[in-house]
Amino acid sequence: MEQINPSAVPTRNAQKAAPAGPGAEGGASTIKRLSSELMTLMMSSSPGISAFPKSDSNLYEWAGTIEGPAGTVYAGLCYKISISFPPNYPYVAPTIKYDSPCYHPNVDIKSGAICLDILQDQWSAIYSVQTILLSLQSLLGEPNNASPLNPDAANLWDTPEEFKAQVLKHYRAATDDSA
Amino acid sequence: MATDALRAQIAGKWQSAFSRLNRGEPGISGLLSFSEAWDIAAEFLHPRDLTDPTSKKDHDMQKVKGAFDTLSKAKMLPLLLENFLESMRKQKYHIEREVSQFMSQYDNTDDCQYIAALVLRLIEWYKAWAPIPELGYTILSAYTLAFHTQTFSILPPSFSRGFKSLIASTLVLVDSATPPTWANHPALEHSHPRRPDMPLWNAFDQLGLLDRYESLISSVCYEHIETHIQESCSGKWGEPMLARLREWMAEKVVPWMIMPYARGARSTDEARSMLQGIGSRFDFHVCKTLSDLRTKEIFDIIIDYPDSLCALQDLKECLQRVDQRTELVQTLRKANKKRLLHPGADTKDILLQYVSIIRCLRIIDPPGVLLFKVADPIRKYLRERPDTIRCIVASLVGDGESGDSLVDENEPIQPLQQLQVDDYTDPNWEPEPIDAGPEFRTNKPSDVISTLVSIYDSKDLFVKELQVLLAQRLLSIKDGNFERERRNIEILKIRFGESALQVCEVMLRDMTDSKRIDQHVQSQRSMSLHPTIISRHFWPPLQSSTITMPGQFNELQDEYSKQYATFKPDKKLRWLPHLGSIQLELTLQDRTVSADVPPLEAAFIELFSEKDTWPIDELRAKVGNVDRISAGKALATWVELGVLRAEGDGTYRLLEVAEEIASSGSAQSTRHVPLAEEEAPAIMTVQQQQAEQMKVYWKFIEGMLTNLGQLSLDRIQSMLKLAPGYDRTVEQLAGFMEAARREGLVIVKDGVWKLNR
Repeated sequence: MEQINPSAVPTRNAQKAAPAGPGAEGGASTIKRLSSELMTLMMSSSPGISAFPKSDSNLYEWAGTIEGPAGTVYAGLCYKISISFPPNYPYVAPTIKYDSPCYHPNVDIKSGAICLDILQDQWSAIYSVQTILLSLQSLLGEPNNASPLNPDAANLWDTPEEFKAQVLKHYRAATDDSA
Repeated sequence: MATDALRAQIAGKWQSAFSRLNRGEPGISGLLSFSEAWDIAAEFLHPRDLTDPTSKKDHDMQKVKGAFDTLSKAKMLPLLLENFLESMRKQKYHIEREVSQFMSQYDNTDDCQYIAALVLRLIEWYKAWAPIPELGYTILSAYTLAFHTQTFSILPPSFSRGFKSLIASTLVLVDSATPPTWANHPALEHSHPRRPDMPLWNAFDQLGLLDRYESLISSVCYEHIETHIQESCSGKWGEPMLARLREWMAEKVVPWMIMPYARGARSTDEARSMLQGIGSRFDFHVCKTLSDLRTKEIFDIIIDYPDSLCALQDLKECLQRVDQRTELVQTLRKANKKRLLHPGADTKDILLQYVSIIRCLRIIDPPGVLLFKVADPIRKYLRERPDTIRCIVASLVGDGESGDSLVDENEPIQPLQQLQVDDYTDPNWEPEPIDAGPEFRTNKPSDVISTLVSIYDSKDLFVKELQVLLAQRLLSIKDGNFERERRNIEILKIRFGESALQVCEVMLRDMTDSKRIDQHVQSQRSMSLHPTIISRHFWPPLQSSTITMPGQFNELQDEYSKQYATFKPDKKLRWLPHLGSIQLELTLQDRTVSADVPPLEAAFIELFSEKDTWPIDELRAKVGNVDRISAGKALATWVELGVLRAEGDGTYRLLEVAEEIASSGSAQSTRHVPLAEEEAPAIMTVQQQQAEQMKVYWKFIEGMLTNLGQLSLDRIQSMLKLAPGYDRTVEQLAGFMEAARREGLVIVKDGVWKLNR
């Protein structure tokens, strides 16, 4: 069930090293914070974004879903992401990457790594899973072409037709059957 | 080739035989007298044909006796007997003929008097053929046996049926004044028996019929007992029947029993000892029949309780004598299943019957084994009914109008009893009854409420339901008299314990506090608004509404809030404007209308003071988007009162001047309308609360299925632990998922669920 997309496999090992043994360092306050964020996220009905822990025994690893916002080239597409919370969350930002290959100026097409200020130096403890997901969703429609992880995509951004063709070329629909 | 030795042996034998017959008389004169004696004896003993009068001869008894003596001396009596029995066999056809005559008469008429006649005729044959008693017991008994054998071989199969009905007819003979038809039989002419049936029984005995048909005779008696019990006891539960039946046995059946079973008794004591065995068998049968009957009726007996107390006590006594407990349990379980535990039965009725069953079976079987076995399916069934708790709770607080309460008023109020462990140090301890199953739990004679509450594993459910019920009742009280509720709460405190009812206590406090606060506020500034102020945290969720009160009502609310805020600066009022009722007096051009109406009605009519005509949608928007149906209902109230008029296109117009048609019906200018009752209950029931919770869990399920793809039921269940307060079982979850599937939200394939999109 965890293998949502086979393309995520190569980067998995690097990912796992980051949150070492959750529960050991992760205090009860982190768990509590994550539970309450889950509750808030579930009860809020933000369209197109969603996330849930991958297993009930480990609250630090979540799987998420982002639907492309309407009116952008990503409209109608659905991307899977994985969220990994550090033990000292929310004081440190979670690590997020795309599991589905995403052709986007600020996303590394191979590793799925994301370049977003609030996930790096602009992180603040007042952010939550919900705000991150919303930011990621809006990032799809409004990329920051100044600091691209995918320069080709950044260059193509101004020609929407070609850009969209590239997006669709790389896009792979997340199907449940791939699990 | 005969040898000499053989010849000598034969000669010796012949010699001794000759000398035996000749008896040492000279010459062969002994032999001659022997042969004469044989002839006389054989002629005397010859079985003659009774129907032939010529066959009857007078014998010189002197001569006959002499002849027998001679034969006895010659040791020829056994041979004579053999000869006699052989000729009996030859003469059998005489009897056979007559028997078949009687039997064909019986077969044609089915009248058992022919059987009686047959029996008496057989006795005549028997007597006629009997050898004289001087011949000794051996010959007599040999004759009797032979005669019995002969007759039994003659009697056709239908005889036993006729015999049975003859016996049955003797039962009523005991106390009938008219002698039976067969009593005039010629054979009985000179006898004057003590009882009319006496000679018949003697005849039976002589013919060996009593031994042969013993079981038939007792079955007649059994059937007699059964019919009597059916007739006298069916449906009579109000009086003790067993004692009466025993009396009946002693008066009617025992005297009859003397005949077949104790005819030979010379004294009462002897008769008593002879009757003991059979008597106790019949007594057992009485008990068994009665217990069978009562077992069959048990369901209705329980319905009739306590009027049927006597029947229950009878049953208890019977069950001690006969082992019918299993039958009772099975019958009652079957009856319960058929008549009680089906969708057509009201939960309240089921509970009532269950309580009656508890009470009844405790009478029959104080240790409670029967009850445990019978109650189990009922409890299981009740657990599945959604409104069981509400019914129990309603009866706990004594729903005045519901008539018969589950709880006996006289029963002392006790704390709920927990399951008790056997106290083996108790000197009065008794082991569990022998038919108690392994699951049997000793439920010490506890009160009914404890038993009912124990249907569920925890009493928390009851307390929750109790809160809902209390909330409904408190909010519906208009005169401010909470004494009854207070009393109920005090009673329930004894049962459930102080701490469980703390919330209820707060609710009650809220009511009295509201009154006090209102008095204070009114003293500051008199207002026509009297709110009930409740502590949200301690009340079950109230149904919310979007309604906002317009115009003067809103001003009133604001004003009140202000006053309240000065009185209790740390608290804030949140209005629930859709609850309560409003007394209105409308002053129109030509009339005043006073009415006691729900808030929505009041809100609408308030709007009509602004302008005379409103479209319904505009009205709805003004009071906070109430749904169309309730809006229509509220407006209809005014239309009915002749205050508004529906214009047809969805607009309503105020009738400043009463319309002809509206006022022609009733001339009064002032009318009182009862408050429109039957609103949706303001309090969410426990069920609704659960459904509300399930909505939250559905969000979680949706979330996990969106992000994790497809999941098995077990996985969903374990993932739901992440949701706060999740306490459903997998079964409940399965039911919920199934419901979601029916709504098309999810699909399931090979046991894994995923979102349907």
